[in-house]
Amino acid sequence: MRVTDNATARMVLATLQQQQERVYTLQQQVSSGMRINAPSDDPVSAQQALDMKVLIAANDQYSRNINTGNTWLAQMDSSLSDMNNVMVRAKELATQMANGIYDAGARQNAANEIQGLKDQLISLGNTQIGGKYIFGGFVSDQPPFITTDGVPSPGDMAGDFKGTDDPINVQIDQQSFVAINYSGGKLLRGGTPPGSSGTDIIGTLDGLITALNNNDTGSIRSSIDKINSSMQQMQAAQGDVGARENRLEKAGDVLTGTRDYLTKALSGKQDADYLQVLSDLTKQQTAYQATLASTAMFSKISLLDYMR
Amino acid sequence: MSVSDVFSIGVSALYAQKLALEVTSENISNVNTPGYSKQTAILESGIPNQDGRFPVGSGVRVASIRRVYDDFLQKQLVSSNSSAGNYNTQQTAMQRVEQLFNEFSAAGLGTDLTSFFNSWQDLADNPSGQAERQAVLAQGNTLVSDFQRMNNSLNQVKSDANQSLQGLTSDVNDKLKRLAVLNDQIHQLEFQGGNANELRDSRDKLIQDLSEKVSVTYMNEPDGTVTVSLPQGATLVTGNQAGSFSLEPDPSNSGFFKVLLTGPGSSVGSDVTQIITKADGSQGEIGATLQVRDSLVDGFISGLDELAYNLAEQVNSVHGSGYSLSGATGIDFFSPPSTPTPPASYAAGYSRSIAMNITNINDIATASSDPTVNGTTGDNGNALKIAALATRSISMSTGNSTFSGYYNSLVGKSGVAAQVAEQGAIQSSAGIKQLQEMRDSASGVSLDEELANLIAYQKSYEGAAKLINVGTDMLDTVLSLVR
Repeated sequence: MRVTDNATARMVLATLQQQQERVYTLQQQVSSGMRINAPSDDPVSAQQALDMKVLIAANDQYSRNINTGNTWLAQMDSSLSDMNNVMVRAKELATQMANGIYDAGARQNAANEIQGLKDQLISLGNTQIGGKYIFGGFVSDQPPFITTDGVPSPGDMAGDFKGTDDPINVQIDQQSFVAINYSGGKLLRGGTPPGSSGTDIIGTLDGLITALNNNDTGSIRSSIDKINSSMQQMQAAQGDVGARENRLEKAGDVLTGTRDYLTKALSGKQDADYLQVLSDLTKQQTAYQATLASTAMFSKISLLDYMR
Repeated sequence: MSVSDVFSIGVSALYAQKLALEVTSENISNVNTPGYSKQTAILESGIPNQDGRFPVGSGVRVASIRRVYDDFLQKQLVSSNSSAGNYNTQQTAMQRVEQLFNEFSAAGLGTDLTSFFNSWQDLADNPSGQAERQAVLAQGNTLVSDFQRMNNSLNQVKSDANQSLQGLTSDVNDKLKRLAVLNDQIHQLEFQGGNANELRDSRDKLIQDLSEKVSVTYMNEPDGTVTVSLPQGATLVTGNQAGSFSLEPDPSNSGFFKVLLTGPGSSVGSDVTQIITKADGSQGEIGATLQVRDSLVDGFISGLDELAYNLAEQVNSVHGSGYSLSGATGIDFFSPPSTPTPPASYAAGYSRSIAMNITNINDIATASSDPTVNGTTGDNGNALKIAALATRSISMSTGNSTFSGYYNSLVGKSGVAAQVAEQGAIQSSAGIKQLQEMRDSASGVSLDEELANLIAYQKSYEGAAKLINVGTDMLDTVLSLVR
């Protein structure tokens, strides 16, 4: 092949440009830390990487939902424990007052204490998290239970349930929803209307107060059974809440595991392999320098040098 | 043979070597001229004279100054230039498109789509929360402006392509005119027996440059002119007449230009838009520009339209079935209303017109039943349904996929389009490099070679001068006999 000056110059230029382009690509990978800096770098992997990012984002959102759920359920759990303690005291008083040795005055005092316990129960039923009432179902912006002092008279409406039995669901993975609340109506009033699906706990306490005021030991005794089934109802609710807390915890573990896996897979798809990139970069630099050096050397040689 | 023959032979040699030296110096001086073809002085011996019993030559003369030139290579360079022009133009446009879809360099529509649905999840966790409602509204606005921005930018790529046709056609017209002028000059010069090597080089270079803009074929005519035409036959230049391209808004193609060609010597333009758009990757810059404008970008715009339309339709249908804080129902989240027409199709231009229908955060329908009836402001049933749309597979033109999945496939498509154009550009430039190398090898100037020629011709010149010296001596000798 006949080699001409222009051909050599063009070849050198093209080679240098090619090498610089490679160095540029590699340096971009080093500085961004990513193998894919634009979809065209690897369209298939790019699409897969983006799909994974979507999954990771959804995963993070589910984790956030679970956090919200955990806060609600934990608060509910603690409120239920407090309610249970209230009922323990009520049972103690009822058992005591069923005994014949107490007089009407003592029973009157007991009635007052039970009234206090009932108010406590109602205020526990109006527990809030961040301004939201957790026992009210979908009625979360106003107290679900009517309190003694905030009541529309006439008559003792205290303890009436104004909320709903609806479950407040949160999404914990692509398919599953978990309710993070428990209906106060079902818990303290035994359904709507009261007593329709369980024990009406508020009603039981109202009955006990009436019996104590009337000094009616028979009714006091019979209310003890109701207090027992009330406590069972509360424990059942606590069991339900606890089970759901467990479920959230397990779902959270799965999410963490999935996230780890996805992050690793995503990194495999889009992250640059520094070892590889840096060694390639070194090789490219050497090649670039060699081209420059050889060009400088050979372009000096010409027949002109020998024509004097 | 007379002594004077020595003189005439010597003079012919002086003349021929001088001419050869001139050619060499022309070569040396044009070593860096693009498109220059090396020239060689072809020497031949003079017609022999019958001198007594022996025929003796009459010296040397320059038969011709030949231009080392390979028409086959030239033709290949012309067609390679067309595909290089084509792919380079496509590459520039597709890289712009790709950059719009590049979720790797900056968060774009894809990220905002995820954030939009996540904001609904947050709202479901706290359906009456003002901050959460505000976030949903803000994310909705971001999403809508993403769609509008991308639609706008993609249309900008199209209209920029359309605008660039003006510069391209005037450039081509200028080249066609210069070709016609060169044709005329070469014809005149060669008709008078002159040497038009340099003009032919310029003309070849001009055809090469022209082919980068628009794909052409050419034919060498016996009278020294070339006839240049579109590959499909329409003539652009013949003899000393040039045709020209002109542009005219086409109402049937949203007012974009159609390309008209007025043939040489004609005064009526005919529409050649379809002819030069033919998508075989060898149509030069004008062809590629038309492809970018009329087909390449459209796929991405319709993809966005379909995504925006289906998103609006799905979100609106769920949102409309829910209740706002004030108990209103049947409210669309996005506007304009997407009329559900089974099977799900999409309205062209929807990604440009999509907007938020809701401006008041209390109009966001999170509840599945009227919250004003029982004060059920904590009802998150509808918010959950909308949030769940993020992972729902929707029937799209490309099959079933989620919104994010569909968008990601658009990103992938933009990557493939940019990659194809880039590879086309790399391959065609490699092809050109190869052809240039071959051309350089055949027609290029090698300084070493010219310098060697310089020495050879110089020595011959010295020899010829010596010959005249000797002739003079001989003549002197003869004359001294007479004395």
